[in-house]
Amino acid sequence: MRALTEEEMSTVLKKLANYTGDSLKELIAPLDDSENADRYVFRVVKDRVYYVLLSIANLATSVARDNLASLGVCLGKLTKTGKFRLHITSLPILAAHARYKIWIKPNGEMSFLFGGNVLKAHVGRQTEDCPEHVGVVVYNMADCPLGFGVTARSTAEARRLDPTGIVCFRQADCGEYLRDEDTLFAG
Amino acid sequence: MPPSRTKTIKNKHAANKSGIKSSKQSKSGPPDGVAKTKRKGPAPPSKEVKGKSAADLLKKKKKKVYTEKELGIPQLNMVTPIGVTKPKGKKKGKVFVDDKESMSTMLALVQADKKGEIESKMIKARQMEEIREARKLEAEKKGEERKAKLDETKESLRKKRKRTHVSEGESEEKGLIKDASTTGTKAARPKKRVAFA
Repeated sequence: MRALTEEEMSTVLKKLANYTGDSLKELIAPLDDSENADRYVFRVVKDRVYYVLLSIANLATSVARDNLASLGVCLGKLTKTGKFRLHITSLPILAAHARYKIWIKPNGEMSFLFGGNVLKAHVGRQTEDCPEHVGVVVYNMADCPLGFGVTARSTAEARRLDPTGIVCFRQADCGEYLRDEDTLFAG
Repeated sequence: MPPSRTKTIKNKHAANKSGIKSSKQSKSGPPDGVAKTKRKGPAPPSKEVKGKSAADLLKKKKKKVYTEKELGIPQLNMVTPIGVTKPKGKKKGKVFVDDKESMSTMLALVQADKKGEIESKMIKARQMEEIREARKLEAEKKGEERKAKLDETKESLRKKRKRTHVSEGESEEKGLIKDASTTGTKAARPKKRVAFA
């Protein structure tokens, strides 16, 4: 387990900034105003990036590398080409700070959770002024986050789209907890 | 083959001057085809070396003592490519980012970058939208104009027809034509009917 290097940190933050707005700085803000306040940090174990409280990360140093399965929230993994890939496990953090959102109707929920893209016919609501090719968090109509993706069209263009047109390309969905059960946390 | 001949002559002179008996050039007297080919290959470097005295040779050897690093020649055929080699003065290992300040500055930089990117995207999208709207309006306008023109021509054609009928004059005839046309159409209608069994 180690802290991120400068390059790694910038790639991770860039990826996160795709989905979040200005509130991203709240991610690493100290929990209170005291001098030695606890704060969240990023840690790398093998190639996985974890978002974890500093106090817990310090405690985890006493666990042998082989025995340490996971700590904090797994945000994603660093690929061998130096890019960062967000996992579905990062959804709670992204949903809390999301900038652009799409709400899908009940008829589109299952198709999204089975790995499909979001179609125009399934969109219940969408954030206004959303440009194309930016990260969005996908919710159901009850405001429960289901996954995240990248917009295929801007909001204005999506309005004119036919019902079978793709509005959002899926990046991760909650169905991955079942589909990728074996590889999500290790391997 | 005049150039090769001149070369051989020069070499001969050089060999004589140097006075080295054991040199290949001094030995190579017979005009053998094989011997000539041997001479052609290693001739240029040996020419230079044997053209100077022993002292010069010593000096040259001293010059060759320079290592490749000192000369600063780009190194070829290395295991690691040239671009990958790390600069000398830098510290070995990774530079970690863990303190609050550096993290927040990095975050601010990244956010500013993303913000600019998204804003530019939005501005671009808005501009494109405006252009699209303008084009749409223009197309609508053109369509309306076309329609108006078509209507006009239609009207003019109708008027022309009426005028021609009027110029022909007689209302009775007109009535007759009308009757004929109506009867004609009436007569035509039953023809078009098709009865299925």
